[in-house]
Amino acid sequence: MSSGSNGARRITSLLRPSKLDSGVCRSCQETLGRRSYASAATATVTETPTDAPTTSTTTPPFPYTINAGVVLSRPPQVTRDLEPFEKAFHFYQKRLNERLALPFTKYFYFKRGTPADEDWKKKIQERRTPARDIGKYNAYDSDSWNDELLLGAKEAEPEHQVEMLVQDAESTANATSQDTSKKEEIPRPHSRVTEADKKGDHKSLNRLLSRTLYLLVQSKEGHWKFPSMPVEAEETLRQAADRTLYQTAGANMNTWMVGFHPSGHHVYKNRKTHVDKATGAENHGEKTFFLKSRIMAGQADLSANKDLKDFKWLSKEEIASYVLPQYYSYVKNMLADR
Amino acid sequence: MNLRIQQHHIIHKMAAREPSRYLAKALPRAFAPSARPQAFIGRRNASDEAPTRRLSDELETSSSLTSKVSDSAAESFDPVSRASARRSQLPRSRYQFRSPKYDRGPLHPHQPPAPSDPSSRLFVPGPFSLPRTEQTYNATVASDIMTLCYVHTPPGFKPPVKAPRLREWDDSSPYHKNRPLRGPRGGDVLRLLRKPIRFNNIPKIERITVHSYVKQAAQENSSWIHVAGIAIQAISNVRVETFKSKSAVATWSIAPGRDTVAVKAELQGETMHHFLGKLIDVVLPRMKDWQGIKGSSGDSSGNITFGLEPEHVALFPEIEVNYDMYPPKMIPGCHITLHTTAKADKDARLLLSAMGVPFYGKIVQ
Repeated sequence: MSSGSNGARRITSLLRPSKLDSGVCRSCQETLGRRSYASAATATVTETPTDAPTTSTTTPPFPYTINAGVVLSRPPQVTRDLEPFEKAFHFYQKRLNERLALPFTKYFYFKRGTPADEDWKKKIQERRTPARDIGKYNAYDSDSWNDELLLGAKEAEPEHQVEMLVQDAESTANATSQDTSKKEEIPRPHSRVTEADKKGDHKSLNRLLSRTLYLLVQSKEGHWKFPSMPVEAEETLRQAADRTLYQTAGANMNTWMVGFHPSGHHVYKNRKTHVDKATGAENHGEKTFFLKSRIMAGQADLSANKDLKDFKWLSKEEIASYVLPQYYSYVKNMLADR
Repeated sequence: MNLRIQQHHIIHKMAAREPSRYLAKALPRAFAPSARPQAFIGRRNASDEAPTRRLSDELETSSSLTSKVSDSAAESFDPVSRASARRSQLPRSRYQFRSPKYDRGPLHPHQPPAPSDPSSRLFVPGPFSLPRTEQTYNATVASDIMTLCYVHTPPGFKPPVKAPRLREWDDSSPYHKNRPLRGPRGGDVLRLLRKPIRFNNIPKIERITVHSYVKQAAQENSSWIHVAGIAIQAISNVRVETFKSKSAVATWSIAPGRDTVAVKAELQGETMHHFLGKLIDVVLPRMKDWQGIKGSSGDSSGNITFGLEPEHVALFPEIEVNYDMYPPKMIPGCHITLHTTAKADKDARLLLSAMGVPFYGKIVQ
């Protein structure tokens, strides 16, 4: 063994900036310190047999506990409620379109003399326009300039428009069917407000259908947080997140972990540094890295977990009132607005 | 084992000859400023203090329809009777602006209004709704794609420099002077550059093209192209363009430039999102024995094409509602191209499958 090269290497390992930069994680340090292929090959071959003195190069153990967190979310199930301005704007554009578009080609859709044609004639007499969701309005009349809604008008409300469409379909079905004894019933769309919303059941996944819901758990001490657990040795963040989800909320869920990278983090610093008496290792607090996950089916079940009291499915605004402000300032930017 | 030890010796002997090699390489690196600031970072972003932005922050929360007005004022307001009660009507030119029919240049005193003005001749009304697929993309798909496509590079990482895509001539011949650069190796197609996906270039659906080639329009009569045009117009909500054949197909007796054989509709914005929603939620699930879009489909720059048979086109609700009005057997098949802003087919497939479009077979990247 030639001492010259060995000594030089030792000095370089001391001087290498990536090792000194304690803010960069170990795997990233390796990426940064990687040399070109030729020199790297020689270096690995030479380095493996030598017992490099470890006293000068080892860094102290990382003074934080690394946690893997899971942000388990249920995506929105229905479209969002429109703002009053959007409703008014869409309605205004619809009536404007009625004035500017070419007339409805009735002869293409209704054969003359059929029951459907008779029904059509009756309806166009009533509402003056082929569109079923813009109220009574004749776009070709001399009064067509009068296209604005008056105070308290319901025509711009989506619920009202849906009701009009369903009623139209029902009356057409009744007018054109052979069997006059039976009344046709067209199913209405389900309510956007569910039972769980009315009861205020925060454990149900059927609440707040137009919002993203997130799983929050309550620890024994009463703090609400996203499920998280320390990463064990020889475990990747993704594996730790999978394990966390399984050990926290049980196996009765069909979930999908979005990618391998965390989408947010949380740093908690202890008031006083904890020092392990046996090893002398310091612990300043914990750092949690959150992986994103989606739930497709199932429900959380905490019965197997002794450290957690309760769970809830909450929207972004509700989370703000449950977690500590410091925690929320870390996590809020990884939560979806809707 | 022996061989390895020998190798070590040889390498060490080589290293002994130039002992300062490691030092010479490492010293400049040690004193170079780190890309990451070493000082304590008290992380405070502008977004921390800012409340979440909602549409209602910028607009009035209540529309004029819900504002409080006294009952007597509301009841007495009847614009139609007031207008008809006027003794003399204003001439039309006093209240109706008419856009000039011709654009006479920027110096003419009579300028047409902007196309967004309802009095403009180019005004197109809309939007009329907020489509479901657009909301799903914004609320769920976009953020998931960004998380999925994230590639971690440590601070201070510099990607290896790539060779230029167009190669220089090596000047071995005097004739190389002033020649245009050579194309890439292995073919002269310059592929799109795929940049890492960040918050500002998440792939999204740009437009959809519905195209139908009707060979019977040349073989038999023009009614085929009329029916195809009406059907494509009905399902797409867009006026179609017609095209003449560019190439000759002898077996179908088609000559270039003679017969109108194809119709095409280009969908964008709200219309596109409604079409995509209908496709994903109504038509594709009802197609029998259809496995999905072939995994090898795509033009390798993020646009995916697939075909629908005539019986599948008939599944669109707009055609189903008055199926009898279309001449039987004349409903056309069509090709649908989903144009995305993705630069590679891989990303386009990721986006479309997240939106609910199924793929099958061998996935070609």
